[in-house]
Amino acid sequence: MDFVTLGGNLLGTIPLGDIVLYLTPFNLFLFAVLLGFTLLIALSKPETQIEATMHTLNNTEVKVGPKEFKQRRFLSIICGLASAGAMITGDLFNFTLFMALVGILNIGIVSAVKQTSVLNSAFNYGLIAMMCSLPLFGGASIILAATGTLSLAVLSQMPASPMVVFGAVLMLIGILGESGVAPFFASKAEMFRTAGSPFIVIIHLSSLFIIVRAVEILLLVLW
Amino acid sequence: MRIGVLWNKLADPKNIPRLFAFSLGIILIIGLIVPMALNPDQLYVRPAPQEQIDEGLAIAPYDRGGEVLSQPGIINPQYPDNAASLGMITGYMSPLAQWISSISPYFGTSIYSSPGGLVDEILYYTRGFDTILESSILMMSFIIASWLSVNYTMNRKNDESEIREDVKKAISDSTKVAREVKANDAKARAKQLRRDN
Repeated sequence: MDFVTLGGNLLGTIPLGDIVLYLTPFNLFLFAVLLGFTLLIALSKPETQIEATMHTLNNTEVKVGPKEFKQRRFLSIICGLASAGAMITGDLFNFTLFMALVGILNIGIVSAVKQTSVLNSAFNYGLIAMMCSLPLFGGASIILAATGTLSLAVLSQMPASPMVVFGAVLMLIGILGESGVAPFFASKAEMFRTAGSPFIVIIHLSSLFIIVRAVEILLLVLW
Repeated sequence: MRIGVLWNKLADPKNIPRLFAFSLGIILIIGLIVPMALNPDQLYVRPAPQEQIDEGLAIAPYDRGGEVLSQPGIINPQYPDNAASLGMITGYMSPLAQWISSISPYFGTSIYSSPGGLVDEILYYTRGFDTILESSILMMSFIIASWLSVNYTMNRKNDESEIREDVKKAISDSTKVAREVKANDAKARAKQLRRDN
């Protein structure tokens, strides 16, 4: 499918050698919304949770310390920027790189949490993220071998051969695992059941946006 | 099995990597029967495998033609207007590589002959943005790992009681492991005995 059909008129391109970022209203909108959210997150303070204590009538406060807060804010800002980059990139391999970056940062944001269940699911998500580098980069390289290009603008004009379809399916399973969509949701859903909300929310937000963009990319490649 | 049981299994983070690995394996196995149709029209076009060797070129099969900074090599760029001086350093070889190629006809078949100029061109010119992104992934993982180790793994100044508890736990854990190993050993030996008789 032509990317003008999907995203609206081509407003311009940002040429970086063989990597060309293209600007359509659709991509620009996603990009701007993510940047806006990132800005909100950068300005906000983390929430605190109150938990009932077991066997007594007390409550415990789950707080985020100042040091951890700074680290988390830094990582969430980078995570927001990386997912914003994934929104406007016009290159298949760049997209997978941005995804890998988002996956690493998602683990980093919850890495200093003191709840074992969260850390355990983050570990399991880390295992998936590690495995995902094979289908993500492998899918992109198979598409490159089959078509000779990674540029989405060129790919959208090419008919899909069986090898391209296989590469796209590989990429799809990589995206599913990395962004934690069903049936691989459990490890990622458990990961953000902790205090420090706005920073935790970027984990969720980045995977949502990346799924939207991935659907567009798969349509471009396959149709 | 009721479907509710399945859903409950899916909700356990422990099972997810296994499920993912399983489905990935299935797809990779399906990939074995997908017909391969490589596109020969790549950015860096390669001649047929034996062609350059038959011609007797010194760096066959890696000769990509061109003269450094004066004449572009064999290339086929995606966006020629974005990279005007593409191909100018494709044929670059270090002085050492030039010397070896002048005395040996087998330079092209060795691993160190992969033309340096070509790799530089891809890394810093045509796909320079990728290089930035790749190293930023590495940088982020180093930031996370070093921050964690500085603030948590190495910083145990204020929790002496925790250290004491941890030592106790480690001791009990190791005895548990030793006991398990012993039990497994006995089981294996019994099995072996049964097999021998």
